[in-house]
Amino acid sequence: MAESPSPPVPPPSSPVPPVDEKRASFENEALVHLDVLYRVALRLTGNPSDADDLVQETMLKAYRAWDQYEKGTNAKAWLLTILRHAFINEYRRKVRHPETVDLDAIEPFAVFAEVQDEDPQGAFFDRIVDDEVLRAIDQLPEAFRETLVLSDVEGMSYQEIAQILEVPIGTVKSRLFRARQMLQGKLYNYAVEMGYIKGTPE
Amino acid sequence: MNCRECVEHLYEFLDRELTPEVEREIREHLEECPPCGEQFDFEELYLKFLRARCRTQGAPAELKRRVLRELFGE
Repeated sequence: MAESPSPPVPPPSSPVPPVDEKRASFENEALVHLDVLYRVALRLTGNPSDADDLVQETMLKAYRAWDQYEKGTNAKAWLLTILRHAFINEYRRKVRHPETVDLDAIEPFAVFAEVQDEDPQGAFFDRIVDDEVLRAIDQLPEAFRETLVLSDVEGMSYQEIAQILEVPIGTVKSRLFRARQMLQGKLYNYAVEMGYIKGTPE
Repeated sequence: MNCRECVEHLYEFLDRELTPEVEREIREHLEECPPCGEQFDFEELYLKFLRARCRTQGAPAELKRRVLRELFGE
């Protein structure tokens, strides 16, 4: 059978220029994660204006590099990696002071041991409003904060978090454990101060 | 599995990050050990609370428009 000498011509009724294809796939796979990027950016930068700029820059970089992204893989993790690099390179120095916290020296505070008689179901948590929780997250050391946000705010797996943060899975586990305990301690202290629970602050 | 080992895997268990074998060992321990069971229940409620409190916020509409404008000139 003779082969056609020239490539098939697309039907004239549905011309699809490459730029529209790129745009369509970017909209379907990347722009749908705008809310995720914004929430993570907000927790990293600590303010809405810098979060806006960081997300905008992330989307621009992602669109320029879109040909390098293997379609149908993990766009969310890919975008968050770009966002994190942009944050480290351009925003961290500006918006947050470099941290001098020795993460290993932070002792976990066993909240459950404190509340197991008075409130073993953790009902006091329900009285704490969204803003207070976010404020407490913002007080965590950066390495804890970004791990906790990717896990608890965005529901990413340990493997995905390890990939985005470029650390071993064991590091993700230990940071997440201590971040959650530290946050729990802060929320508990707040609940005691507000009189939601009797307890004894740390 | 003893209590200490069980609690060490606390969050991995709640995050469904363990192998089926370790997960089964923990379930067995929790059935036999009410104090560990209570602690796991408490931590599970805490994680649910965190998720419920933190996932509500989305990107502002103006940011969406700004990104579209920048990318596609709209």
